[in-house]
This record gives sequence, structure tokens and C-alpha cells, in this order.
Amino acid sequence: MISADDYKKAKEGDLKAIENICVVTWEPLYRFIYYKVQNREEAEDITQETYVKTLTYLQKNNAPQKNFLGFMKTVSLNIIRDRWRRKKRAGVIVNFQEINPEETVNIDEQNDIAQRLFLKSALAKLSQEQQMILDLRIIKGYSVAETAKLVGKTEAAVRTAQHRALLALARILDDEG
Amino acid sequence: MSKYNTEEKVSDYIDALNNEQKSEIIGTTDDQELEKLMATVRLVRTLREPALPEEGYPHRLAQAVSDKLKKEKQSSSNQSVKSAPKSIRRILPPMAALAASLLMLLLINWFGLFNQDVVYAMEKAVAQLSNYHGILEIRTKNAAGVEWLVRQVEIWSEDDKYAIKQDDGTVTVNNGQQKWQISQEKKEVVLLPLLPDPTGNSFDLRDEAKRAKQYPHTIVGSELVAGRQTTKLAISPPGGREYYLWVDTETNLPIQLQTAMQNALQTTYTFVSFEPNTEINPQRFAYQVPEGYQVVENNPGQLVATIEEAVAISGLNPLLPEQAPTRILAFEDGIVFDYGDTTIKETLPEGEFVLAPDASLGTAASGQLEVWQERLRWRQDGIEIQVEGVQRVELARQIAPDLALPNSNQDLVSKAQVKVSVDKEIVEADQKQVDRGSSPWQLDPLQVALVFVNLKVTPEGIQGEPVIPMSSFKLVENNSAEAVVEVANGPIERVYLKKLVRQDDTGIWSVVGYDPR
Repeated sequence: MISADDYKKAKEGDLKAIENICVVTWEPLYRFIYYKVQNREEAEDITQETYVKTLTYLQKNNAPQKNFLGFMKTVSLNIIRDRWRRKKRAGVIVNFQEINPEETVNIDEQNDIAQRLFLKSALAKLSQEQQMILDLRIIKGYSVAETAKLVGKTEAAVRTAQHRALLALARILDDEG
Repeated sequence: MSKYNTEEKVSDYIDALNNEQKSEIIGTTDDQELEKLMATVRLVRTLREPALPEEGYPHRLAQAVSDKLKKEKQSSSNQSVKSAPKSIRRILPPMAALAASLLMLLLINWFGLFNQDVVYAMEKAVAQLSNYHGILEIRTKNAAGVEWLVRQVEIWSEDDKYAIKQDDGTVTVNNGQQKWQISQEKKEVVLLPLLPDPTGNSFDLRDEAKRAKQYPHTIVGSELVAGRQTTKLAISPPGGREYYLWVDTETNLPIQLQTAMQNALQTTYTFVSFEPNTEINPQRFAYQVPEGYQVVENNPGQLVATIEEAVAISGLNPLLPEQAPTRILAFEDGIVFDYGDTTIKETLPEGEFVLAPDASLGTAASGQLEVWQERLRWRQDGIEIQVEGVQRVELARQIAPDLALPNSNQDLVSKAQVKVSVDKEIVEADQKQVDRGSSPWQLDPLQVALVFVNLKVTPEGIQGEPVIPMSSFKLVENNSAEAVVEVANGPIERVYLKKLVRQDDTGIWSVVGYDPR
């Protein structure tokens, strides 16, 4: 879908060629980054920086056209790690799911899948109510007030229940991890 | 740190993530328990569908990347640019958006009075339009709000003739008698079927002016489109969904059209340059094979004068509507009757009658009738018939008098043996999620039934391929408000679904009942 000509023109900053590349690759790349940072603005910033860094790299090197997306994912991981180190130096603790700089992007993807399965099995060990509260608050994104209404509890009870559920989940993950 | 504070902080942290605020807003903490809980929240959150960027993101992204690369190139000789790229989200300051909406609100109230004048002036301008030459940009946006440039074409149009030049230099010409495509790359001239002609359905100035007059319409604002001041009209075709047309205030001609969101896709056609009543070289519509080019005949069909000729060419004995067509085209395997704004295509059926997943179902000739956008399709007497265009229902009824369109008031779901209770608030939240572009599968009754049935089989969740595959599910009824899906195997025989929040193309399906096997 991306022609050799697109790569050639894109590194010179040609808008149309860059657009051709972005249209095909932005979504899987963005999803990959969002999965790591869990924040839209940050994911957008890193996506953009990834394209700039990749195309700058291509000005001096040949494009890894066979797995261009995989290459960009590796670039994005490096950016995430740099940001993480910068924040760490600035005293802000942001733990991007224990980033290990030695990992390759493929291993990282496998880890993500394994982590997902592991997390699902850990969640299944919580009580029905705890699962429901975490589902409503974190996965579905309801506010405390909305969740309280849906489960028929007070807002304070929802906060306590969600706190307990997270403690229990962290314990299960620690024990089994 | 007290227990109360930790609970509150964790809760605030979840809210911050839910509101897409940056994760460091909680700041630093030495509280190891809090830190661990925050990490657990982030981990659980990875199971959630990511929040996607606002509409038009790939284009803005490409623009920002291009600007950045050009800037870096310019300054690379004397200094290296170290600062992090600015987020392109910041290019559109929220204040500008607010001001624009206020202006729009004022215009809506103000322009309502002059509604008829705009359409009348457009009709007049279009009637006086002898020809035009312009560059049309076609952009598509999906339900997630992501927009991309499909293509840019150059158009020359005069009476019923047109020539269209694509980005890659390919030229398609229709001079009313013949249609062909010249490919510079392949050095080929391909003769094409004259009908059906999809270019006629995209953005034709004359058709649009006619429709705007014919259908209820309102002025909803004034906008600058491709450097031209325009009036924006909202047009509501009966039974169809509202779409928008932008009319140039200087020439009174329509220069932009935005279709309604159909099948999670919305297309915008914009004339980025436009010259009405200009001089067009007649040679542009003349059939000529450039030197060194090869002519390829791609079952182009033939204009025929009588049904007998069409039968002889196609080998098909067509079902005839009462109303005589303007033109008849015969192909090797089918016949097309052209009525100007509507076409009837009759072909020999191939394989089983497979319905588009998001089509509504009616009946025709004692069988299934697929109703999809402006198209009706069914099989009758060993022929597959497809009627497309504004007169589709009248013309289709001339072939299949028993044709019945889906009746959205018909009760399909009350016969379910087991009722499934639905939490309205959760459904409403799911609908909002789909409106934001997440989980579009909830718009497809087959997908919703598949998830429901498989969760009954594997309540712990669907991992990898579902136990009961998609091939076991068949849509048997769909009146666009309620639907019934049959399942070939597994514990459930029939699933009953309903659009609980809204009954149009954007409404999500919910399972409201089922029949156990």
C-alpha cells in the first residue's frame, strides 16, 4: 500500500507522501502507544514524534519496508522510555508497565498478550461485585456517582469497594506474577 | 497517609485517566501502596478500548510531521532542534471552536428567514450552467471521526457528457454514447459499461440543486469552503438521513456536499477549484485512441433499441417493469434498464443470496428483499434484480407487486421464549461509546448475537476464535428496529435483538431475548 516513492518523498517532508504513510499506519501505531501510556494527548504526541524520528532516520538510511510498522513501534518504545527516564529524573513517577529497554518490539507484543490473559484470570478471582465495580469505573469509565447509581450503593461505598478490589487484585498479581 | 485519603486519591486518579488527563497529575508520592494501586489501575485500563484522536487526525498528523521535517531541514545546518514536537491538538485552540459554535448559533437563527431564496437562486444558477471545469476533492470520515483523502479528481462537464481525470493521470470519459478510460501507465484504452454509472451518483451539480428544492431543507450556517463564502444547507430526504450542501454565495452554485453517515462512513465532496460556464474543448469528449495505446473491451455492454436484442446478447429473459426505460443496455450476463435517476439491473444469480450484514430485510416475490441505502435487491424467477436510485420502490413494485419494505413497527421480539433484561443506563452508555467511535461491532446484529451466544458458552470470556463461529449465525429478520438471528448450533437457537436507544443506522443492537435449543 505504501510505495517506495512515498518513502522517498516522505523523508523530504512531502505532505501527500506522509499522508499516504500515515493513513495506513497511524492507527495500529497509536493503539500500541496508547496501550503503554493510557492517555490520549500523550499518545498523540508520541505518535507524532515517532513519525518525525522515523522519517529523519530514513533521510540517512534505507527504509525497513518489510516491517515498517514494527520499526516505528520500536522507535515509539524508545521515545516512551526516554520520556519515562526524563520524568523519573524530574521526580515524577510514571511507570509505563515496567518498560524493559532490552525488549524487542515483538517480544513486547507477546508480553502484552500474555499480560492481558494473566490480568483477565486475576480479575476472574475477584468477587462478582468487585469485578463489576472495576469494570464500570475503569473499563467502562463511569464516574463514582454513576457507578453508585448502577450498583445501588453510596458513593463512599463505591470508593471503598474499588479500593479493596484494587488491593485484592494487586495482591493476586503479586502472588501469581 | 490515611486510608480515607488513599481511597480518594485512587478514585481521583481513575477519574483523571477516564477524563484523558495526563497521568502525572497525581504528582509524586512516596506512598508505596498508592503507587501500586495506581499501577494496577493502569494495568486494568489496558483492557479498555483506547480513546482515539479527534476527527481528521491522520491529515493533521501528516501536516504536523511534514511541517516539522521541513523546519528541521531548514535549521539543521546551524542548530539542532531539540524541543519535543508540539502536539497537533494544540493547533485548534478551544476558544476558536467556542467562538465558531456561537457564530453558528447566531447564523442559524438569522438565516432561517432567507431559506427559500438560496435554493431558488441555486436552481436558477444551475439552470444557466452550460458547463463547468473544476477540481473535486473527496474525503471520507469513519464513525471514529478519522478522516482521510480518498482522491482528487479534475472534472469537465457539459450536458450529459463528462471527463474525469484521476490523481494517477487516468482519464474516464462518458460522452453519452460511449464510456472509456485511458490509462497512461498501462498505455490502454478500456471500454467500459455505460451503465450503471457511479460517477453520476456522487456529486452532480444539477442533481443536487434539484434535490435541494425537492426535499425539505434549512439553512444552518455560513462557512468558508475552499476560500469561497458559502451558505450551508441541511437537506432531509424523506425516509433518508440528513445531509449537507454548501452553496457558493457569489455564483449560487453548490460547491460542497457531505453525505449522511452511512455504514459508518461519511463522504465529503469539495470543489477546491471551480470555473462555471467556461470554454471546454469538444475534443475532450471525443473518442480517440492515442497512438501506441491498446484498446481493451471489458464487457462494456451495448446500447440496444429493443428487448429482443438485449435477450439475444445477454441470454437472459428479463422481468419487465411497466414503465419503459430511457435506454437499455445489454451485457454478456445481464441487462440494465436506465431511467435516468434509477437503474434496474437484472443478472443471472451466482451462489446463495447473501445479504449485506447491515441491510434491512423486506420481502419480494415470496423471498427476502435486501434494503441497503438507495438499493433494493431480491431474486425472482431465477433472476437477481437490483434497483437503485430515487424511483426504486415504484419501479421494483412493477416487477414484484408483492414487494414489502421492512416495517419498523412490526413486533419481532415479543415471541422470545426467554426474555433478557437490559439495563437502560448501561445500553445508553454503550451507545455513547459507539457514537464516539468505539466498539462499532454493536451496530451489527450478527456480531452482537455472536458475542451474546458465545458468552453463554464460555462465560469467562471469548479467547481467540469464538466456539460458535460467525458462519453459524444467520440474520432472518431485520426491520431496522428489531431483528432475529438464527444460530445453527449451540445452546441457543434464536436470538432476538432490538435497537433500544435509537432506530436509525447509528443505533446499537441489544439482545432482548432468546429461544433455547
